[in-house]
Amino acid sequence: MKFAIAVFSPAHAPSSRRALLFAQAALAGGHEIVRLFFYQDGVHSASGNIVTPQDEQDVPAQWREFVTQHGLDAVVCIAAALRRGVLDEQEAQRYQRTAVNLPAPWELSGLGQLHEAAQVADRLVCFGGN
Amino acid sequence: MKRHRSPIGSSALGAIEMAKSLLIISRQAPWSGPGAREALDIALAGGAFDLPLGVLFLDDGVFQLQAAQQPGQLQQKNLAANLQALPMFGVDELFVSSVSLAERGMDAGNLSLAAQPLDEAELSALVDRYDQVITL
Amino acid sequence: MTTLHVLSHSPFGDNRLASCLRLLGNADAVLLTGDAVYALQPGSEPRRQLSERRLATRLFALEEDLQARAIDPAGLALAIDYPAFVELSIRFDKVNSWL
Repeated sequence: MKFAIAVFSPAHAPSSRRALLFAQAALAGGHEIVRLFFYQDGVHSASGNIVTPQDEQDVPAQWREFVTQHGLDAVVCIAAALRRGVLDEQEAQRYQRTAVNLPAPWELSGLGQLHEAAQVADRLVCFGGN
Repeated sequence: MKRHRSPIGSSALGAIEMAKSLLIISRQAPWSGPGAREALDIALAGGAFDLPLGVLFLDDGVFQLQAAQQPGQLQQKNLAANLQALPMFGVDELFVSSVSLAERGMDAGNLSLAAQPLDEAELSALVDRYDQVITL
Repeated sequence: MTTLHVLSHSPFGDNRLASCLRLLGNADAVLLTGDAVYALQPGSEPRRQLSERRLATRLFALEEDLQARAIDPAGLALAIDYPAFVELSIRFDKVNSWL
């Protein structure tokens, strides 16, 4: 089974963690994730600048590790990210901003990537809110 | 590993006759943040690829269709322009919950966009016939 | 086509559960996650409404969220883990998350 998973909430929201655990369970069950797509406040789940207190679960680090370990296609919506200050090196340069907070493995791209993933996948599963 | 991304998607979007249909259920009031506009953006992006999609305005989402709004008072761009762009992008399956309208004292005949009012049983059938749904 | 509706907001002061139940099809299912499991709070109005719908084997709740909140789903909802969540998303034709 091919899954497209879309995340609409920041890393501190329980639904971001839930998306991660669902994605891990999908792979563990022998399924494929064709793409992870981060939209709206979900772009913050990909931010590399989040500092989690040491005694708390570091969800953004776990996302990064999960994406890297499995070589997943993880796309962050560029329009939603720019609006919320989540920038890769290229965009930080383009808009002359001082901070880069979207390192690899994340990639910025457009909403067409969400539609393409939904077309390719057998199931589109969205996570957001609380 | 850098993947090549074509600006208009890739081959998967070429096979339109096989395309899965998507229903976007928009539940957000228009001036509570970027949510309503970002929901519409999903529809407009899909329309640009000729994907079969519909939009249902539900709950506070019906306030997006209120006529004679003046978002300039809040220094906001007019959402009506994006709404009107939907049919131009090929998104002409537009629906609105008649229960949500009635709850808010609104009249289906006086909306800023022509959307088909649906009762509860029709809403259920609508969700049923789409391949995928995004509710936001 | 059947739909698995996924809720994550508390039903108290939010109309997602009510709207979901209004458009729920006869073969559709509901999965409560996060604060949405408060809908199963014994003695509450949302729990009464869910019982009235007689969803039987079509009402699920994420086990970790139930346990974290000390909510007992007994007799109304089936508690599931993440592998079962994945299987449910496959058993139904589509997943509609109420974001």
